[in-house]
Amino acid sequence: MDSDLPEMRQRKIIHIDMDAFFASVEQRDHPELRGKPVAVGGGSERGVVAAASYEARKYGVHSAMPSVTAKRKCPDLIFVRHRFDVYKQVSRQIRDIFEDYTPLVEPLSLDEAYLDVTENRKGMASATEIAEEIRARIWETTQLTASAGVSYNKFLAKLASDQNKPNGLFVIKPAMGPVFAASLPVKKFHGIGPATAAKMNRLGLYTGEDIRNQTLDFLEQHFGVSGRYYYGISRGIDHRQVRPDRERKSIGAENTFFTDTTDFDTAWGFLDPLIDKVWRYVEANDIKGRTVTLKVKFSDFRIITRSRSGLVPVMSKPELTGYVRALLEGVFPVSKGIRLLGVTLSSLGERAENETEQLSLSL
Amino acid sequence: MQFTIERGALLKALGHVQNVVERRNTIPILSNVLLSADRSASGGQVSFSATDLDMEIVDTAEAIVSVPGQITAPAHTLYEIVRKLPDGADVELKFAAGDDPRLSVSAGRSRFALPVLPAGDFPIMSSDHEGVSYQILRDDLKRLIDKTRFAVSTEETRYYLNGLFLHCLAEDGSNYLRAVATDGHRLALAEMPAPEGAMGGAGVIIPRKTIDQARRLLDDGTGYVDMTVSPAKIRFQFGNASLTSKIIDGSFPDYGRVIPKGNDKVMTVDAGILSKAVDRVSTISAEKSRSVKMTIEPGRLTLSVRNIEAGQAVEEAEIDYDNETLDIGFNARYIMDVMGQIGGDTVELRFSDASSPTLVLDPVDNGVQYVLMPLRV
Repeated sequence: MDSDLPEMRQRKIIHIDMDAFFASVEQRDHPELRGKPVAVGGGSERGVVAAASYEARKYGVHSAMPSVTAKRKCPDLIFVRHRFDVYKQVSRQIRDIFEDYTPLVEPLSLDEAYLDVTENRKGMASATEIAEEIRARIWETTQLTASAGVSYNKFLAKLASDQNKPNGLFVIKPAMGPVFAASLPVKKFHGIGPATAAKMNRLGLYTGEDIRNQTLDFLEQHFGVSGRYYYGISRGIDHRQVRPDRERKSIGAENTFFTDTTDFDTAWGFLDPLIDKVWRYVEANDIKGRTVTLKVKFSDFRIITRSRSGLVPVMSKPELTGYVRALLEGVFPVSKGIRLLGVTLSSLGERAENETEQLSLSL
Repeated sequence: MQFTIERGALLKALGHVQNVVERRNTIPILSNVLLSADRSASGGQVSFSATDLDMEIVDTAEAIVSVPGQITAPAHTLYEIVRKLPDGADVELKFAAGDDPRLSVSAGRSRFALPVLPAGDFPIMSSDHEGVSYQILRDDLKRLIDKTRFAVSTEETRYYLNGLFLHCLAEDGSNYLRAVATDGHRLALAEMPAPEGAMGGAGVIIPRKTIDQARRLLDDGTGYVDMTVSPAKIRFQFGNASLTSKIIDGSFPDYGRVIPKGNDKVMTVDAGILSKAVDRVSTISAEKSRSVKMTIEPGRLTLSVRNIEAGQAVEEAEIDYDNETLDIGFNARYIMDVMGQIGGDTVELRFSDASSPTLVLDPVDNGVQYVLMPLRV
């Protein structure tokens, strides 16, 4: 598969990921929260945890978990309101640090970014050294810890940053790449969710090596276009570039059902966390979108989309929820089971970096 | 129609009405002022009316009326002519129907002939004023308007915010007359004990232009204004002049819930110093947002503006504050507008956090409240 690609120089990619970012910021600014299980996000009945501190994670609390479930798992859990203004400010601080090393910074979110340091501004030869320096400077500047993964492509760098989390560093050297990918359980692969992992397991695929032993045809037959991606990464191959100017065209979230459904309420309940995820991204990144799209994949893999566009951006989560519900109502009744649902917000307009936003009274 | 009137009286009456007349009009007669001359036992009286179809101002002045009658003539031109006539001159206005109908205006050696349109075509607002009538002191009405009108919205989409919401309410056993204006980003509220007879009147949204005209008329004279409020119209009678206006057909939002009740971070600062400091640092704010950042710490307020193109500005002010440090941004103009209405030397700002409404209070006037929504900086 890689033979038809032009010969490429070995790249040096770093993936930086802040540790329990929102929760750590809260613990930093509120000393009384340190060492305690903290969840950032709504403590209300319908709320969802936006981030959980490591103390809370020990109880099984994780982000995107309904607050009710989180509270049950960890009765002492302390809910704090998010302060996106502060998170954004910290995000800008760490972005400034990255920029000292390379212009090739691709932020994935407020707390995560890829850096291509093959050529870097400091003329440093070792990517590992750069990663350590960046982690130290992040700590110095923000009193927050970050984990770093170093490797020769984005896929492996991201896997690596997860290895010694929190406050750790892990390097996957070129020779280790294929071995590392082969040894990994499929559910650890970026882009393979629980439902796809379950399907792989049913096909007898449990690790990267199992995937590698399959033909490209087999993978494409069972996983469509994604099959080609799985084929590559199971060999430690990922040619995606670090794109600093990457501009988001849409914000989306989707998920596959474990079992297909034809029931409206089941489908609606399934959409709730997706809407939540999209809206959190909107809030955290100050992006506004005008078009809401609902994606439905049926049991026969047929995909339909339904969308609505407004003249003005969607301004609140209840508004987004209302649109999605109306779109879903338009899809029902269904003749085939629904396999996957997705929500996307597009026609985005991002606020310029130095622009300010006048808030409105809720009249 | 023929009458002679002292230039000062004529100028004053025309001055009262001519502002209603729009500069550009698609309906020609709306550019005109209606002159109606009546003879009475005491000599005579002329009334001057102008309208834009939404509001009408009528003023009357004494004159020596030799031939009663009515005619309309271009309001702005007539006003300009009279303004340029010498002080103390007697002005004669004369109109006779004929082949070439003109209004002749003469004073001393000056002669003017102005085109006219028939009085019968002039739209008159119906004067069937049902509704609640009461009297209010000019100074009280001035205060209600001045403390609030700056916050009236100019944005057309939410038309029901394009006016001042005047209404009566009973609270804690007392009756109040209250004026509220908001543009969605800030809100201004001023109230006073309800004048006798005002209770029971409908809450009305008075259009911005009407408020501006009423405010101008309030400057001439003292004493009381007679108000008549009905669900469709409002009428102000200021001595000889009256202003009748349609009101905005819509419902004003439930503003009470955006007035914060529990803001406990209280900053007291000299209103003049704050206003001037904000004005200074905002010199380099971006044109559009005019954003100014406030950093509030015990004893000290730091105002700062960072503009990538224009540079930066910082100014400190002494304040009374003993709560946690707060960073919050505001539109400089909003701060200055409010400070301009603060009666006392100091002003009290009550904060919650950087993204919630801030309450501004005037220590010497507990009948006013201002709410400012921050800017995210």
